[in-house]
Amino acid sequence: MVARTWLLLQAAVVVAALGVRESNAMERGDAERGRTLFALAGGCGCHTAKDGPVGAGGGEVPTPFGKFYGTNITPDVETGIGTWSDEEIIAAIRDGVARGKGVESPAMPYYWYSGMTDADVRDLVAYLRTLPAVRKENRPHEGELPFARLAYRLWRTLFAPRFDRVRERPTDPIARGRYWVDHVSLCADCHTPRNFVGAIRFDLYLAGSLQGPGGDKVPNITPHETGIASWDEDDLVQLLRTGFTPEFDNVQGWMAEVVEGKGGGPGYRDAPEEELRAIARYLRTVKPIAHKIESERE
Amino acid sequence: MGWIVVGLLVASAALAHERKEGLPEGPIRERHELMERVGKQAKIIGDALKTGKLEPVGPAAAKIAEEASKALPLFPEGSTHPRSRAKPEIWQQWPEFEKLMGQLQADAKATVAAAQGGGDVRAAANKMFGNCKSCHDRFRLPEKE
Repeated sequence: MVARTWLLLQAAVVVAALGVRESNAMERGDAERGRTLFALAGGCGCHTAKDGPVGAGGGEVPTPFGKFYGTNITPDVETGIGTWSDEEIIAAIRDGVARGKGVESPAMPYYWYSGMTDADVRDLVAYLRTLPAVRKENRPHEGELPFARLAYRLWRTLFAPRFDRVRERPTDPIARGRYWVDHVSLCADCHTPRNFVGAIRFDLYLAGSLQGPGGDKVPNITPHETGIASWDEDDLVQLLRTGFTPEFDNVQGWMAEVVEGKGGGPGYRDAPEEELRAIARYLRTVKPIAHKIESERE
Repeated sequence: MGWIVVGLLVASAALAHERKEGLPEGPIRERHELMERVGKQAKIIGDALKTGKLEPVGPAAAKIAEEASKALPLFPEGSTHPRSRAKPEIWQQWPEFEKLMGQLQADAKATVAAAQGGGDVRAAANKMFGNCKSCHDRFRLPEKE
């Protein structure tokens, strides 16, 4: 009887140990898959200065509310996120809470990332941990409001959109495209205009903006004649893959950066074609919206 | 009251016209129109490459070569305008700009030759489009910054 109890106890310990190993593996994420997510996220370009290094911060984000600089997300233990736990990094990405600081500014589009699946965000974190650690102090934001953290908290409460977290990456190509557009690649963030308080104009979802991130003109990408009605799926994939429009004009500014990646890091062009095609397919199905974006230069 | 409404409508139509026709007459507008014509031919080539029906490639590339041969005189020194995307670097680095425009012409002719002689049309066209990108990246402003 004692021997049987002892055996059962040993078996329980082995099973528990295996369980812990498995759950750790699930929690840790896969850096290789994470690199693909990083590419699909346009290389998280705000966190890379024009000439790199990748993730070491310093990307400029001019907004009507001040100029922001992306923070160092390399594993440097002093200036980066080297001492942050996975959970803390995930909270910064999806909940907009920076360790030791509080709620992040809306320049960090955590509200869109909030829909990212647990598995994908863990893979992304695993990839961030493989970036070369770079010691580089974060640059303070310029023109920030007084009591900024309080204002950001208020903004989050009043204006941040709320998305249901996607439980598993969709397999249907259109739903999968929507997942990328809204929660990872963030086409919806740049191509949807905001109102005077920075709240997202969902009535103009993907219909373009004259005041996109960085002040860039951002075109209407709905399938309306003022948008991309004449583009087919291949045209969109070509743009995401090469930066060329159907007229073989090349995109510049922020769009070029997310296509090519910054500082030598991956961008959309490094993502698997099937995922870019899912984005293209979804964009062809969204509601067409008449919204002509006049260029300031020709 | 009616006159005020008419006046406002005329004023807004004039503003809209000004916005649409913002580039001044002369070389600045002409080179913009030239580039639009090049874009149309480029789309013809792109569509042909997509479908694999390559017949339109040669004539379209020939038109691009012809347009490229006319481009340089449309960039007289200092011909800038707030609505123009031409960077001042064009005139600061004129030999480089001239070289790239010459390269576009050469690449377009090479695409014509590939189309007529059974060469690698796709590779030739991609080289030509890569040339467009190099020039834009160096000498063209974003639409807004």
